[in-house]
Amino acid sequence: MPNNDPEVVLRIVKLSKRYGSRLVLDDLNLEVGRGQVFGFLGPNGAGKTTTISLILGLIAPRSGHVEMFGLDTRTHLSQALRRTGAILEGPSFYPHLSGRDNLGVWGALSGGVDGKRLDEVLELVGLRDRARDKVRTYSLGMKQRLGLAASLMHDPELLLLDEPTNGLDPAGMREVRELIRRLGKTGKTVFVSSHLLGEVEQMCDYVGIIKEGRLLTQGSVTALLRQGQALEMVVTDIEGALEVLAGLPWVPGVTREDNRLVVQAPPERAADLSRALAEAGIYLSELRPRDSSLEDFFLEVTGKASAGG
Amino acid sequence: MVSVLAAELLKVRSRWMPYVLLLPVVGVLAFQTFFGYFAVWRHDRDFEGLYVSVLPWSLPSLLDLTQFLGAIVLAVLVASLTGTEYGWGTVRQALIRGQTRRQYLSAKLLGIAVLAAVGFLLVLGLGILFSAIVTAVDDRPLTLDLPSGGGPSPGDVALMMLRAGYGMLPYMLMAFALSVVGRSTTLGVAGVLVYVIVEAIVIGILGGVGGATADARIYFIGHNVVALLVANQVGGVDYFSLALRDNPPASDLPDPAVAALVIGLYCLGFLAIAFWVFQRRDLHA
Repeated sequence: MPNNDPEVVLRIVKLSKRYGSRLVLDDLNLEVGRGQVFGFLGPNGAGKTTTISLILGLIAPRSGHVEMFGLDTRTHLSQALRRTGAILEGPSFYPHLSGRDNLGVWGALSGGVDGKRLDEVLELVGLRDRARDKVRTYSLGMKQRLGLAASLMHDPELLLLDEPTNGLDPAGMREVRELIRRLGKTGKTVFVSSHLLGEVEQMCDYVGIIKEGRLLTQGSVTALLRQGQALEMVVTDIEGALEVLAGLPWVPGVTREDNRLVVQAPPERAADLSRALAEAGIYLSELRPRDSSLEDFFLEVTGKASAGG
Repeated sequence: MVSVLAAELLKVRSRWMPYVLLLPVVGVLAFQTFFGYFAVWRHDRDFEGLYVSVLPWSLPSLLDLTQFLGAIVLAVLVASLTGTEYGWGTVRQALIRGQTRRQYLSAKLLGIAVLAAVGFLLVLGLGILFSAIVTAVDDRPLTLDLPSGGGPSPGDVALMMLRAGYGMLPYMLMAFALSVVGRSTTLGVAGVLVYVIVEAIVIGILGGVGGATADARIYFIGHNVVALLVANQVGGVDYFSLALRDNPPASDLPDPAVAALVIGLYCLGFLAIAFWVFQRRDLHA
C-alpha cells in the first residue's frame, strides 16, 4: 500500500538488493519526514550508494520498494524524480561543455530551467566566475559544487546527496554543511549519506546507521546521543558496585575500565545511581558524565553489529 | 522534447569528433570526382570517368560513396556518443532528472538522426559542388536532364537520397545497440567495422560458390543495401564509386522493396535489443 502521509517524503519498504551471492542490502526500512535533514551513516561499503541508486531507480531491487511523496516509484518514478534533486557518488559531467552548459543540459532534462535560475545556483555554489569554463578544467571540489548546483536548480522538494562534501576543502565543506542546514530550514527534505560522523552530527536532525546492508538504528540525533550517554565513576568497591548495578533495570550496561566503571545511563540518573550504591554501603569517590558524540554512538552500534555476527 | 533534443545537439556540436570525421569523407568524395574527371575522362576518355564525375550521372556515384563512408563514420560517431555517456557517468545523471529510460534513448536517437541528416546533406552538398565544378569545366549545363533526353526529376533525386540515407541506418543502429549493450564506444566501433569486413568476405564467397548458396546473401545487410543503391541508376548507366564493396549485377540482387524490408527488420532488431537491454539494466557508478 502506498504511503499517503503527506509528511513522509521518502519511505523505503523492505528493500533488498543482491549482487550474485552477495546480499548488499537486506530488508531495509526507512522513513524520512518533510523538512528533515536525514543523515545516512555507514562505513564504506555499507550500502549507502546502493540505497540511493535504488531510490533513484538506477538499479532494480531484488525485493521491496520505494515511495517518494506518496508515489510508488515502481509505477511513478518519473513524477517522483521531477520533484527530487540528487548528487551521486562522483560528480559526472560533459567535460567538453562549460559548467553553465552542463547545467543547461541537465535543466532541459528536468523540464526546463531558465538562464536566470542557472546563474542563481551558480552564484549559490560559488561558481559564477568559472561558469563559462569547460568542466574539464575544474577541480574535484568545483565539480562537486557544480553537482550541488545541478541538484538544486529545479528547486526540488527532496534532495538526495551522496557524500556531498567529497573533494571539498575544509572551507568548502563548511559552506556545503551550512547550505544543507539552510535548505532544511526552508522546508526542503535532505537525505544525505556520509561516512563522516562529525559532518552528519553538525548537519542532520535525524540519522540512520547502516552496516553491511542492514539498518542498525534510526532516530533523531538528540535521542540517539541520549542512548549513548554514560556516567563514569570511581567507587570504593568495584565488585560490589557491579553487583548492585546489574540489579538496576534502567542500566542497560556497565563496562570496567581499570579502576573506573562506565555506566550506560543518562546524567539525570546520577542521583539514583548514587543512592542505590550508598544503600548497599558502596560510596562514590568520583562521578561525572562522559561526553558522548555521534562517533561514540556509531562505533558502539556498529561494533555491536559486528560482534553479533 | 524540443529542449531535450536541443540539449542532445548541444552535447554533440561542441565536440570536435563530428567535424574531424567529416573531413576524410569529403576528401574521398573530392578525390573520386576530380580524379574520375581529370585522370579517367579527360586523360583516358573512359566513360566511367565521365559518369563518376559529371552531373547528373555522378549522383548515384556520390550517393554510393556517401552511403558507404557515411555508414562507417556514423557508426563511429554513434558509438562514441552512446559509449562516452557510460564512461563519463552522465547516463546516470540523465536518468535521475525524471525522463524515462525509453525517453532517454529516444532523445539520443533523435539527436543522432538530426546530426546524421545534417552531415549527410552537408557531405552530399559538397560532393555535388565538386561535381558541378567539373561539369562546368567540361562545358556542360548544370541540369538533371541527360543529353539523350530524360534524366531524374527532383522527386527521383529525393528518392535516391532517401535510399542512400536508409542504407546507413542499419550500421548506425548496430553501433548504437552494441554500445548500449557493451556500455562502450570500442565495442560499437569495432563491432561494426568487423561486421562490414567479415560480411564483405562472406558475401564474396557465397557469390563465388553460386547457386542456392548465393541466395543466402539476401540475409546480409550489405547485399540489401547494394540492391537499394542499384535502383539509383541515372539513364540506365551503371555507376562506379570508390566504395570498397562488391557490386554484383542487378539480376543477382534482391528487389529493392524486399531489400528495404530486410534492412528495416535489421533496424527494428537492433532497436529492440538496445531498448530491451537498457530498460532492464542496473546502472552502477
